[in-house]
Amino acid sequence: MRKLSLLLLVGITFLLTSCPKEEKVLHLYNWTYYTPEALIEQFEETYGIKVVIDYFASNEDMFAKLKAGAKGYDLVFPSQDYVEIMIHEKMVLPIDHEKIPNLTYISPLVLEKATYDPTMEWSVPYYMGAAGIAVNRKRVSDYPRDWSIFSTKKLANRMSMLDDLREVIGDALAYLGYSVNSVDKKELEEAKRLINQEWKPNLVKFDAEGFAKAFASGEFLVVQGYAEAIYEELDTELWENVDFFLPPSGGPMYLDSMVIPKGANNTEAAHLFINFIHTPEVYAQFLDRFHFPSSVNTAAAPYMTTEPFYHVEDLENYELKRDLGENLTLYNTLWETIRYNE
Amino acid sequence: MSKKRPKLKPTTLVELPKETVGVYRPPRQQVFRDHRRFGFSNIVLVLVILFLFMPLFVVITYSFNASKGMRWTGFSLQWYYKLFFESRQLWRAFLNSFIIAITSSVVATILGSLAAIGIKWYRFKSRSYIQVISFLPMVLPEVIIGISMLIFFSAVKIPLGMFSIFVAHTTFNLPFVLLLVSARLDEFDFSIIEAARDLGATERQSLTKVVIPSIAPALLSSMLMAITMSLEDFVITFFVAGPGSTTLPLYVYSMIRYGVSPVVNALSLVLVLGIMVIALTFRRFLKTIAASS
Repeated sequence: MRKLSLLLLVGITFLLTSCPKEEKVLHLYNWTYYTPEALIEQFEETYGIKVVIDYFASNEDMFAKLKAGAKGYDLVFPSQDYVEIMIHEKMVLPIDHEKIPNLTYISPLVLEKATYDPTMEWSVPYYMGAAGIAVNRKRVSDYPRDWSIFSTKKLANRMSMLDDLREVIGDALAYLGYSVNSVDKKELEEAKRLINQEWKPNLVKFDAEGFAKAFASGEFLVVQGYAEAIYEELDTELWENVDFFLPPSGGPMYLDSMVIPKGANNTEAAHLFINFIHTPEVYAQFLDRFHFPSSVNTAAAPYMTTEPFYHVEDLENYELKRDLGENLTLYNTLWETIRYNE
Repeated sequence: MSKKRPKLKPTTLVELPKETVGVYRPPRQQVFRDHRRFGFSNIVLVLVILFLFMPLFVVITYSFNASKGMRWTGFSLQWYYKLFFESRQLWRAFLNSFIIAITSSVVATILGSLAAIGIKWYRFKSRSYIQVISFLPMVLPEVIIGISMLIFFSAVKIPLGMFSIFVAHTTFNLPFVLLLVSARLDEFDFSIIEAARDLGATERQSLTKVVIPSIAPALLSSMLMAITMSLEDFVITFFVAGPGSTTLPLYVYSMIRYGVSPVVNALSLVLVLGIMVIALTFRRFLKTIAASS
């Protein structure tokens, strides 16, 4: 018995000590695929730092994990509303601008929109984009290139919108000429009426997971969604059949940023990584992978080899989704009447 | 004595006439009714098999698809190429899962079976309490175990990571091992131990030389079960995972935002094949152990 317990003890101490204690490791906490593996390998080779990545599927997952006291992530990629919350909750460490000379490439337009941190004191923008509308050009012709496409009766039951309250309500608000962050009860009521009476009767469903597959298979002809997800499901030769556009009346927009959370072990490497990713040549490779426009890094565009799915100018009328704080319940109750009431 | 015994011919004592009028012959016992071709049970059987295996079949078929979507464009092995040569992160997650499954199941089997033997072997006051408490993790919802472990780990300042997942998995595997091994011990004839002790074996010798060999199949099967449960667990792992400890289920789940790639389909087939090979070899192995004890 003594031998056995000794063995156990040795095993446990081994497990404890073999946990992250090595030097020169960078722990990223990121959306899946959001940073191409080729770039990670380049970073590892250039700086001799091993990169370990963990993934989250939603901001809520990530936030819950960090809030519960998970420590050891060096760099996290939250979206704008959660950056705002994390700054407010003092969960992040300040960015040392001297270590990141490539910050000069960050577009001033983006920083202007990021009113919660316009000087990049706590966060560095990674990518800014928006969800749009994809239309199966082969089977649909003559349609309005705006949110009003969802009012088209002849496309009834072949269209879907995202299962995301901020996106759908934000689109309606923008279409009506209001701010996507409006907390005005009258404006919200108007948006609800628009969605419930004009759009919803024509939708198959609100879908945030399967829309791209359903669009690729031809089941849905018009979907609201993210360009990279929609095109990823299609072979390149079919891309010409897709008309992807961002409605000119505007809508909600997202800005994913990089922040260094408190409890990071290797802030040095985190700064190195931010600087590395914003090197124009490197950043262009990231944009190429997803056919993104060069919205955040102004110097990367000349190095790009692909045509982006949409352009920076398209984002002109778009507005960042802000954290609504207490007022989120307003949206929640509204969404319940939209989503679940017939 | 070298003489061979004459072979006995089977004989019937009374020769019955083949067709005897008036003799009562009981009808052939029919416990089950005739299997009609479209009987209820057959339809249910077919439906169950369909529902169980159709998704798997679809997944495997599409792993050989030349394109990404659900449109069949031709046969291709590109997803297998991607799986084996371009999926570093996926394999890292798989390795994490594997390490945790092996370590936690081994430790859970050792602790669980020792506990089962102890509970059966000795009579002591808290015996029934231990039995009841140890089954709690089995009936508690996983979310509650996950969140309470997370709170516990951050309270005692154990960093979240591989070690915390290992501890969590060992914990939820313990009751299953305990249950399986106690079930085997219930069938165990304790007079054998008395015999062993009577013949001079010490307490420990009778444990290692008598009890453990005879419950070896139960130990092995509970370990295999612990491995499967650890490999597939999502909820608890989700809560207690930390930096650098993404397991396979967590990785696959996090792909949802960007669309699950057919590489996962390819991985499914590889896993199914691997598990089948392991299961078949272990079955033979289990049989030999069972036969030798």
